[in-house]
Amino acid sequence: MKFTLFIGCNIPVRVQQYELSARAVSEKLGIEVADNREFKCCGNPIRNTDHQTFILMAARNLALAEKQGLNMMVLCKCCFGSLKKVAHLMEQNPLIQEEVNAELAKENLCYTGKVEIKHFLSILYHDIGIKVLKETITRPFKKLNIATHYGCHALRPSDVTKFDNPVAPVLFDELVKVTGAKSIDWPLKLECCGAPMLGVMDTLSMDLTEKKLASGLKAGADYLCVACPYCQMQFDRVQEMMPPHLERSRGLSSIVYPQLLGLAMGLSNDKLGMSRNILDISNIESFLE
Amino acid sequence: MFYDITLYVALTIFGVGLMYKISGWFRFSIDMQNRVISTPAASGIGTAVKGILATLFSPKFLILIRVFVKDVLVQMRIFNEDILRWLMHMLIFTGFMFLLITHALGKIIVTPLFDRYYLALNPFLLVAGTMVLSGIAIAGYRRLVLKVARLKTSAMDYYVLIIIAIIILSGMAMELTKLTSYEYHQKIWYIHVFACLFGLAYLPFSKMLHMFTTPLSLLANAVMDKQSDPGNIQIRQMMELDACTRCGTCSNRCSVAVAFDRIGNEYILPSERMAFLKDYYADKTISTKGLEAIQQGIYLCTNCDRCTVACPAGINLRELWFNVREEMIQRGHFVDLMLTPFSYFRGLNINEFDSEQYDKPLASVRKKITEPYKLLHRSDDIIPLTSANQKFKDTAGLTDRSGTYAYCFTCENCSTVCPVVGNYEDPQKNLDLLPHQIMRSMGFGIRDLAMGSRMLWYCLTCYQCQEHCPQSVKVTDILYELKNLSVTYNSGKQQ
Repeated sequence: MKFTLFIGCNIPVRVQQYELSARAVSEKLGIEVADNREFKCCGNPIRNTDHQTFILMAARNLALAEKQGLNMMVLCKCCFGSLKKVAHLMEQNPLIQEEVNAELAKENLCYTGKVEIKHFLSILYHDIGIKVLKETITRPFKKLNIATHYGCHALRPSDVTKFDNPVAPVLFDELVKVTGAKSIDWPLKLECCGAPMLGVMDTLSMDLTEKKLASGLKAGADYLCVACPYCQMQFDRVQEMMPPHLERSRGLSSIVYPQLLGLAMGLSNDKLGMSRNILDISNIESFLE
Repeated sequence: MFYDITLYVALTIFGVGLMYKISGWFRFSIDMQNRVISTPAASGIGTAVKGILATLFSPKFLILIRVFVKDVLVQMRIFNEDILRWLMHMLIFTGFMFLLITHALGKIIVTPLFDRYYLALNPFLLVAGTMVLSGIAIAGYRRLVLKVARLKTSAMDYYVLIIIAIIILSGMAMELTKLTSYEYHQKIWYIHVFACLFGLAYLPFSKMLHMFTTPLSLLANAVMDKQSDPGNIQIRQMMELDACTRCGTCSNRCSVAVAFDRIGNEYILPSERMAFLKDYYADKTISTKGLEAIQQGIYLCTNCDRCTVACPAGINLRELWFNVREEMIQRGHFVDLMLTPFSYFRGLNINEFDSEQYDKPLASVRKKITEPYKLLHRSDDIIPLTSANQKFKDTAGLTDRSGTYAYCFTCENCSTVCPVVGNYEDPQKNLDLLPHQIMRSMGFGIRDLAMGSRMLWYCLTCYQCQEHCPQSVKVTDILYELKNLSVTYNSGKQQ
């Protein structure tokens, strides 16, 4: 099983623990991960203002993966959403496909829809499977309550992303349960983390983040678990930055999923980049058997 | 006599030019007035010298040696980027250095060491000359035949290649005619000496200055960090502008360079931005159009740091962009990109800014983008529903099935599930129209209502509305589309 890794812009600089742990876990599971340093921005940030450029940016990455002859493993949910959306648009509309490919031809690239775009969690759930994952767990968690945060752009629009049931998803919860932790029910599980408004309308962004944290704490979560760099930054770095009046819900730290899984697999802290989280998450080890 | 005079003239111009260039690093600086900790104004040569001395007499000295060998002499950064390019640069660098030390400065350096150095036909000179020429041939090949992506060639790049070629070719011709024709040998001597001295005198003003500034940038960045004296960081950033050779590595690695292919604003490419900044910081004047272009170029950045990691001159582009971007934004004007996720990085660093200065540009962009839609702010008006703007309705079509707004029967599901609407006690006061009202405005073809609401720009794009619409209206996609339309409308491209 081999994928080309679409790492995105944020992970290598600001959420390195996600890359480290995802690679470590993949290695353990026998997933071969190829790199492609020609991959560039997925296009997501420019979607608000320049739809045509958005399509070109995403399509170029798809064409590069097609040239590489590999399916994509995407770590970021915003990247995932963008790539999926553009693949969908090109599939639906031959005119768009033609126009984009004419542009890509300048770099000898072409996208014909041969690439499967998969989020990291989907690969674990569908391609590896819960049964195999279970066998790799050497020290399961005990009495650990995890609040899963699904992330918007993987889940919705469901007709495009086809990630899971958009109103009652189970994929992420199942993956958490494998580690021995309990995936708790919490009201704001499927809501936005607030990241898209950071830097645009910061009060709104932090209000939304704070609401999620408060909701998670109230539901009895020990940790939040995410699988997207934006969500992680929001719950980690931005939580740390929050102004005093929002601090009441501080205290719910976030861990990226491959770190959680890796710990239960017995991988070392170094390999999982545990020290790279801004809020200290080392206490989670006390829940290990 | 002729030789002596021209040599001293050239040396004087070189010396004065170099001092002038270096003084620029201290005279010019990035405007940091908007920061929480603004820089002390009086940072000058004193702090710079202090910083350098402190580094030389500390364990950091070892880092300097390592970087000097690895990045300055062996040039591993170029090697990692592109082997052909490394070969090109190494051929020119080693060949030229050899000629400089053994030949140009021969009388000072070599003769005292080896007294029988003079040879009738010096094979070393010819070998070194051939090396430099091969390097130049590769450079020409890369620029003219390979046409390396996003490598822009300016007059300066041609000048450097041509002047070096003239120096080497005339030198080799001199060497070869030495035994055969004394007359030619003498004539070529004039060309050779003139080219060398011209190159020397013009060096501080040309790209060749990088032979001093690039190593300096590599070394300075190896030992400086965020905790370094802010004054010294400012000096370093001005010096870095001179260390850039516009080699295009950053533009090639740049995450958003693809946007340049479509938009055509060359300031999207980091290397072109560097070229602009060199001129800009000399006098800080800029036209409105130029400012808009540079603002767009510098804001269209995901802060992925790839340019900084790849830069062969070791320039800390990350910090440079961060500081320059803020200076440009604070100069006013309209950067619609501020209302997109490109602002995320600025938001992450909110605590570094003076809060009033931080909010000012955002507030002005928000105002400007909703301002043209007057109808929204005249709530007493009676809106004639009959004159639906069909032309406006027809413009919707960027995404798949955006015409679905027509199916909206105002059940308000979208507005009910919207986390942004849910965040405000009085949503209409903060957002103007809510998602379902925007869909209906589309149905009526009332542009001002559909495009003027702040709701558009506060949308998280979380797709809750679209997912929960019983009529399969592509609510989020339509909101995306309205934002796009609003930007084109504002920039006057479309009526």
